[in-house]
Amino acid sequence: MRWHKRLLVAGIAGVVALAASACAGGQVRGAGGTPQPSTGQESTAATTTENTAENTAENDATFVYAPNLDVVTDWDPATSYSNEIIALANIYEGLTRYNAQTKEVDPLLATEWTSGDDGKLWTFKLRQGVKFHTGGTLDAEAAKKAIERTMKAGGGAAYIWDAVDTIETPDASTLTFKLKYAAPMDLITSSGYAAHIYDADALEENAEDVEDGKLDAGTGPYTIDTWQKGQETELTLKAFEDYWGGWQPEQYKKVAFRVTPEITTAWQLLRSGEVGFVQRLNPQLFEQAGMTEGVQAKQAPSFQNLLVLFNTADGPLKDVRIRRALQHAIDYDGLVAALKGAGQKASGLVPPGLLGHTAGLEPKQDLEKAQELLQDAGYGPDNPELKLTLTYAQGDEDQKLLVTLLTAALKQVNIDLQARAMAWNAQWDQGKKGGQDIFVMYWYPDYADPYSWFLNVFRSADDVQFNLSYLKDKEIDAAIDGLPRLTATDQLAAHQAYADLQKKIIDEQAAVAVPYVQTYQRALSADVQGYVDNPAYPNVVFFHDLKPAG
Amino acid sequence: MPRYLIRRLGQALLVMAGVVALTFVITRMVPGDPAVAYAGPKATPEQLAEVRERFGLDEPLWVQLGAYVTDLLSGDWQTSLHTRRPVLEDLYHAFPASLELVGAGLVIAVVTGIPVGVLAARFKGRLPDFSVRLTSMLAVSLPVFWLALALQTVFASHLGWFPVAGEYDSALDTTSPLTLWTNITLVDALITGNWPIFTSTLSHLVLPALVVAAYPAGVIAQMVRATLIEEASQDHARMERALGFRETTILTRFALRPALNPVLSLIALVFAYAIVNGFLVEAVFNWPGLGRYAVNAISHSDTPAVAGVTLLVALVYVLANLVVDLLQGVVDPRARAR
Amino acid sequence: MSTPAEAAPLRRTLPRVTDRFALAGAVLIALIALAALLAPWIAPYPPDEVNPFDSLRAPDGAHWFGTDAAGRDVFSRVLYGGRTSLFIAVTVLAVSATAGVLLGVVAGYAGGWVRDVIMRVTDVFLAFPALLLSVALAVVLRPSVTTVIVAIAVTWWPWYARLSASMAASIATRPYVDAARCLGVPAHMIILRHVLPNSLTPVLVQVSLDAGGVILTAAALSYLGLGAQEPTAEWGLMVEQGQTLFTTNWWVVTFPGLAILLTAFAFNVLGEGLRNALDPRRIVT
Repeated sequence: MRWHKRLLVAGIAGVVALAASACAGGQVRGAGGTPQPSTGQESTAATTTENTAENTAENDATFVYAPNLDVVTDWDPATSYSNEIIALANIYEGLTRYNAQTKEVDPLLATEWTSGDDGKLWTFKLRQGVKFHTGGTLDAEAAKKAIERTMKAGGGAAYIWDAVDTIETPDASTLTFKLKYAAPMDLITSSGYAAHIYDADALEENAEDVEDGKLDAGTGPYTIDTWQKGQETELTLKAFEDYWGGWQPEQYKKVAFRVTPEITTAWQLLRSGEVGFVQRLNPQLFEQAGMTEGVQAKQAPSFQNLLVLFNTADGPLKDVRIRRALQHAIDYDGLVAALKGAGQKASGLVPPGLLGHTAGLEPKQDLEKAQELLQDAGYGPDNPELKLTLTYAQGDEDQKLLVTLLTAALKQVNIDLQARAMAWNAQWDQGKKGGQDIFVMYWYPDYADPYSWFLNVFRSADDVQFNLSYLKDKEIDAAIDGLPRLTATDQLAAHQAYADLQKKIIDEQAAVAVPYVQTYQRALSADVQGYVDNPAYPNVVFFHDLKPAG
Repeated sequence: MPRYLIRRLGQALLVMAGVVALTFVITRMVPGDPAVAYAGPKATPEQLAEVRERFGLDEPLWVQLGAYVTDLLSGDWQTSLHTRRPVLEDLYHAFPASLELVGAGLVIAVVTGIPVGVLAARFKGRLPDFSVRLTSMLAVSLPVFWLALALQTVFASHLGWFPVAGEYDSALDTTSPLTLWTNITLVDALITGNWPIFTSTLSHLVLPALVVAAYPAGVIAQMVRATLIEEASQDHARMERALGFRETTILTRFALRPALNPVLSLIALVFAYAIVNGFLVEAVFNWPGLGRYAVNAISHSDTPAVAGVTLLVALVYVLANLVVDLLQGVVDPRARAR
Repeated sequence: MSTPAEAAPLRRTLPRVTDRFALAGAVLIALIALAALLAPWIAPYPPDEVNPFDSLRAPDGAHWFGTDAAGRDVFSRVLYGGRTSLFIAVTVLAVSATAGVLLGVVAGYAGGWVRDVIMRVTDVFLAFPALLLSVALAVVLRPSVTTVIVAIAVTWWPWYARLSASMAASIATRPYVDAARCLGVPAHMIILRHVLPNSLTPVLVQVSLDAGGVILTAAALSYLGLGAQEPTAEWGLMVEQGQTLFTTNWWVVTFPGLAILLTAFAFNVLGEGLRNALDPRRIVT
């Protein structure tokens, strides 16, 4: 008899639990989105058959992108500075776009541009007939408003506009930048961050809807369909029918982002056809992808390198000899070997493909030299043990590999390295307070130009943001400040300036070691064609370029 | 009875207050600036200050605790720093998925654990008993995260018998959208007759539910075996044997019923345990439940979300215990005296 | 985990530990402990010796369990990992059992409001499933082996407190304790001489039963990145590091996982056997 009561108890516990979850009241999951492809293809198919006869090739498939992180943290194109670039780059557009193949800047919302006054005056002609997703039409006034709003917000990558003095609109299709100092505006306007042109008024008026991902104000080929932060399928985009670039029937009208933190899982989903694009595989799976039918493996060099920043301001690493010893202790060749293709050895701070990349700066491990330097500084095998702390990114296998190799190498020269994997915000928070000896992080530029490595990471700053080597050197600062003008006016001189600066920072100051430049190892479904990797827009797939193969 | 009820309720309230205080203290000490987590990696100092202001992160701790309790009571479980939605709303979406997984796991555990336990008791000291004890002992010794990875690799990756991860094929959301009533996908698909989602969910459920089931199945099998052996040595069993009933009949007809008693209270106990064990399973199988939510929250230093999950699981546990005790008090007056 | 109402003192029952399972468990544990203790002598390579040009090598004669992503010998790391796991288990159990038994015995013997306060506090802790509270704590503290020990010990002591409180309560009402009290023996002496020793047997059984759980929890915490840090050899951490390699390089994950399984299994078997031997009537969890 009694066990019936027990059953009742279990039942009640279940009901209590259910009550907490119940009352969904007949909502449809993912409500608010478009249940059918936004072209209305399926609904019209039922009613007007003659319509479908014309559009038999219409692509009603959804292209699924599998990012390993949550997609959106900030919907505001002015301040966005994170992983949402993979969505925003398809929703918003800038005046120009960097072309990774020609290494030139291509027209986008601007059709042509000229510079004058020794690089201090830039005039952009705007494309005609461009519509915002909010219904308005793009003109010079709207573009000016957007850029000025971004500059005023001052968040994210807004610094890219620092050179701008005034923006003028001589007529509805002309935008003129007057600069404080010469700067490469064609490159700057191609930035993946903070260079978007948007309907500023609509953003301001509907701030809440924008923050909730219900509304966007771009000109790009796609617009937000649904956004559910924290869900597996976090974000879906749909085609913007009035896109100035037009629509071919075979292009993807719907795009979904399916967050898949585990690389193995992402790979399985790709193989089973549930997703179309995986942004990063490990070398082992990438090798497997190359041999798998129905999958294309794509390898592309990136603009992203790993920085091992030494604390030049405080602690034992204030001594430049110890910093040099650390530079010599890193097993660069071993690391690249163990990365098995996920990275290539770096030569200096600037990755290949960018202005100022200098060959011949490849570092090499030299433990004897390291030991010598340590001996000089009063450490090393016969002296007291040196304890150093290092912080790196939680969950990053490649950084972990560096840490493992470095710890083992430093043990040989009597250095006890205490490495700690941290979530980015905790690591950064501690870094801003100068709380470690060695800070490991990736860096990549906001537009295809090496300036940001120097301005953000090595220009002295009282209020530390990314200057995590805490370097303060007036001479270096002055050289950095001269870079934009040189880039805009004299590329050859700019190249030389970058080369000199790298020697100063790496060899003389020993503020950083740069072990490798990451190589993207991606995979996408063999059913898709038109994908081109563009390292200036890291991990971005321009979905409008894609179409089904065959 | 009323006095017992009041005393027991008071106890439960006290425990809940303690749970809230403990959760608060733990989560308010998380390293890393939660404001940075919310405002993004490259936010300006002004933006950070604004976020701190908005979430009261600059107030003294005890003020924050007071505000925290008041908010909890009024149903405001704070806003997740990571998802930017109210935590309660997030939990409302994540909890049913966990219930689904843990429920399925417990069903498997009961369905396999009880017969296996009976089998072991019937052949006590012989080969079936030996192998059941061995496997049940192995089942409770398995590291769940490793078992999850192993099953996923073998049965999903290599053999391809089951889907790798997720709750159901998300493409079905557009082709056959699910109408929600209970928020538990399997149940909703069943009552609305949404067969594509129902079958997809079932096939996605198999592997993670098996992993969740391993531990409780082992515990239940051991428990059933032990109680049955005890029952079988009692007077009524001796009499039944004398009356000529066969051993199997005695076990299943007469001994099993009383033996199920402790099993049912055990299920209530392992329920909360299974939810937390399910965290690791959810992380591996990308199951959209509390576990994935919690693991996400941990890596983003999402204090309110961690607090929310901790609180919810602890409260469910306290409530379940309370209900069990109260009903026991109704059934069995002796329990009230304790 | 509940309270065996009363169990015979340990020494009287030890000879009865003939359960084959318990014996097998004891032998296994002895072997594992031996391997862990002797790791520096029997491991073919130092646990942190890297060889990046020979990484992810499949098991062969030179590397029985293969090598990991940094070219370290997995077999040597599994051996050293045993040291970490056993160290964690022993420390956690020693700390939590000591704290729990002391509090529990005081609560059980004293009764009244002392008991109420202590028991309500344990109730609060017991309202959290062990892993959940450990996770929450480990998030707060700097992740390390010490953190794992603290986080698990904090969630484990209440069980011992509850167990020994009920033991102590029943012992405190026995005639000889009453007699001692009447004779004016001070409370702390009674606790020390009579109550404590008599509560120990069930606690010891519980400790051997819990060791497996502690090892599993510790591994889970390290797996979640909240415990041991690179380059420590720890089984949970090794599984975490190899998990993206499971489909391509199975050995990196499989061996540390098996090591966790085997060790937890050995302790569970021993604990189960001990419990059966000490109290054949009470075989229920």
